[in-house]
Amino acid sequence: MNSKTVAYIIKRIILAVVTVWVVITVTFFVMHAVPGGPFLGEKAISEAAQKALEAKYGLDKPLFIQYVTYLKDIVTRFDFGPSLKQRGRTVTDVIFDGMKTSAFIGLIAAVIALISGIILGAVAALRRNTLMDRIVMVLTTAFVSMPSFIMGSLLLILFTVKFHIFPANGAASGGLILPIITLSLSPMAYITRLTRSSMLDVLGQDYIRTAKAKGVPYLKIIFGHALKNSLLPVITYFGPMLAYIVTGSLVVEQIFAVPGIGRAFITSITGRDYPMIMGTTIILATLIVIMNLVSDIMYKIVDPRITLE
Amino acid sequence: MKKRFLAMALTGVMAVTALTACESTPGGSSSADSSINVCIGSEPDTIDPALNSAVDGATLLVHLYSGLSKWEMNDSGVLEIVPDAAVELPEGVENADGTITYTYTLRDGLKWSDGQDLKASDFVYAWNRAASAELAADYGYMFEVVDGYNEVADVNEDGTPANPDAKLNVQAPDDKTIVVTLYNPVSYWNELLAFPTYFPVREDVVSNEAWATDPSTYVCNGPYKMASWEHNSLITLEKNDSFVDADQITMNTINFYLSDDQNNMLTNFKNGDWQLIDDIPTNEIASVKSEFNDQFVIAGQLGTYYVCWNVNEDILPAGSPYADDENAKAEIRRAVGLLFDRNYIVNDVAQGGELPASSFVSMGLTDADGSQFYKNVGVSSDFDGYYNVSADAYTDNFNEAVEILKKYYTYDETSGKFTDFPVLTYIYNTSEGHKAIGEYLQNAMAGIGITMNLENQEWATFLNTRKDGAYSIARNGWLADYNDPICFLDMWTTDSGNNDVQFGRGDHADDAVYSIDLTPYGFDTKVENGTWAETYDVLISSIKSCTDNDNRYKMMHEAEDMIMSTGCICPLYFYTDMYLLSDKVDGFFSNPLGYKYFMYTTIK
Repeated sequence: MNSKTVAYIIKRIILAVVTVWVVITVTFFVMHAVPGGPFLGEKAISEAAQKALEAKYGLDKPLFIQYVTYLKDIVTRFDFGPSLKQRGRTVTDVIFDGMKTSAFIGLIAAVIALISGIILGAVAALRRNTLMDRIVMVLTTAFVSMPSFIMGSLLLILFTVKFHIFPANGAASGGLILPIITLSLSPMAYITRLTRSSMLDVLGQDYIRTAKAKGVPYLKIIFGHALKNSLLPVITYFGPMLAYIVTGSLVVEQIFAVPGIGRAFITSITGRDYPMIMGTTIILATLIVIMNLVSDIMYKIVDPRITLE
Repeated sequence: MKKRFLAMALTGVMAVTALTACESTPGGSSSADSSINVCIGSEPDTIDPALNSAVDGATLLVHLYSGLSKWEMNDSGVLEIVPDAAVELPEGVENADGTITYTYTLRDGLKWSDGQDLKASDFVYAWNRAASAELAADYGYMFEVVDGYNEVADVNEDGTPANPDAKLNVQAPDDKTIVVTLYNPVSYWNELLAFPTYFPVREDVVSNEAWATDPSTYVCNGPYKMASWEHNSLITLEKNDSFVDADQITMNTINFYLSDDQNNMLTNFKNGDWQLIDDIPTNEIASVKSEFNDQFVIAGQLGTYYVCWNVNEDILPAGSPYADDENAKAEIRRAVGLLFDRNYIVNDVAQGGELPASSFVSMGLTDADGSQFYKNVGVSSDFDGYYNVSADAYTDNFNEAVEILKKYYTYDETSGKFTDFPVLTYIYNTSEGHKAIGEYLQNAMAGIGITMNLENQEWATFLNTRKDGAYSIARNGWLADYNDPICFLDMWTTDSGNNDVQFGRGDHADDAVYSIDLTPYGFDTKVENGTWAETYDVLISSIKSCTDNDNRYKMMHEAEDMIMSTGCICPLYFYTDMYLLSDKVDGFFSNPLGYKYFMYTTIK
């Protein structure tokens, strides 16, 4: 790695910190501007209780002071505060708990999607216009366009209701298999299509023809030159996709009763659980920023012609 | 086929109404590995007995704790309140100043789940904690009947406790005795003792703020211990062998699966993995009902689904001579309330076995003599409640409403429609069920030319809008916390946080059109043409200080008459609790508050 690259990475890290800070700031003020509050319920609590709770959690202070306190707690103590809804639990605790499952099934799903997507895409490209290619393309079109709640429900009906192969709840043994498949199908299909088109593009390049003319063995052309160079768009896609997939999917978690973090994104907002909203947003933003950075660095590794600056 | 279906028998034992679903009684032998899988909701916000305000949380808590009293189903299938940690539930002794003192003795051999002895002082500590301004629990006000509560719960302007050293009038003279003094006699006191907020906790346990989030720090005193808690997934309770009544507990393990996805619940029930699910997808109710006829249960609940008007909403046409006449507006709102076919709503829209409502105080709440409060409204001998909700009365109601409205609006006889009713907007929180009901109401009103737009709002926004009175008509609902009509009535005082109608606020503060006469009930209050604050607020505080039970209930009827006369409250149906219970399960029961009891169950 030359000094230029190092400088570039440092620059990107600074930029990433600024991005996350902007996300924090915007989320913080927008969240407080939305009507409603964390202590509202169908039954109103007494005014005394309302006041006492606001004092306890510092919500009685001016908004800017709350903002400064929040930033300070994150930076100095890495403290995301308590959950206002799940009393007694901290945001870090809730997020860590949900992330264990979400990251586990997300990572597996991402790896499956990546490996099978690249293989299928490459095969489809090399066997262009054959029956194999057609089947792959039809299936991937279906998987890409089918939303996860339909795919999840289909798998559930098939493997749980009809054939009783897998349980319908994530806590039971084998209960995470269907969620993993559901999560992986759509990115797998997308990666397949990306790989196929990019591979076709690369196979038409001059250097492939040169390699062929020089008598380089077929497999070496495919794996050493074509495949490697056709992965650039996959890398672009894979980074952010990984960030999303490991932070959980509400839909998949609901359908299969998976105890992941995805639902926390929604319930924290509907419940106006301010520290939870901030915590989940920061996690997602940070992951996306990091993944984008990793993608860019991967470019450089895959394609030395790219200069990072 | 045996129908395990809405045992509609209304029983008044101990002023407790049992609308229950199951005929089995406790019994049967305990097998070593018996277990039951149920799903009553998603991850509970808390299972700290003082902080909990949810029904699913309460179900967990009644298995984990033992209070002074508890709900139990007796051998004849009737729910009653019986002593639990207390030897008996004695009558109170009235003091010279009108307060009333109860003395309880704890049973021998009571233990915490970590082996320590349970002491009377644990109850004293727990009650003071739950009521304190410092904890600011949702249900802290459950202690408002206990002497000293007003000082304990008071806060300063900045939210800090106003009297940090104040305590409830509860003492533990020794380890076995609890002495508690109430401001007034309270007919539902024994029921309060069975309420989770009144369960004991130990000071050294709860000093750790996160104590109730992890099995390793969760110390309780009931029939079960928490064995494990996988957040958002599963809470497992294991029988507590050191529990004093452990020999009566037949179920060894209860797995509470945590999910709020109705379709997922149904799949697990159909697969036979879960034996009880507390929710059914609305659009599947009809098919589930026929498929699982004898496992589909509808139990009564103490609650009313209703529509509320903003009392300050101007509903008269421009230039109407009645423009500022609150009595005219009340008559109009009452008339609009008659336009709705409540039988259609429950049978074709809601479909959950709900019952058409003709009063705000829901079915299931009892009167002074143990009969149904809503049946004693006394408007007519032909029907119960404030208007007739029988199916054949609907046409008459509708025609009557149209006749009344003709007094105030221009009616076009040829089209059968009113032409100058101002456009209304109905708000509801986002939900298919609420939307369907809103659409029915919209249609019913459109039938006579009243345009009502529908607007859905996300939950927290909706609550805020309704609380602030920034609406004309809104969907609303209320569930009682205990069997006393006051829980439906004290919410409508001027300063109440639940006064969504905005009674006594804004322009309505000056509407002096209400009269009360409390002299027959021993009060020196008689107001004619008073404001809401001068009448309703006074009436409620008189009810709360009344020591004569009969008079107290009569005044509660007057209070309900007042809110119903405004037309601002338009009850649609009484809530029911609908669930699927496997026919393999025996010994299950639920109470009218919706708590479900699995400790005496056995699996066939």
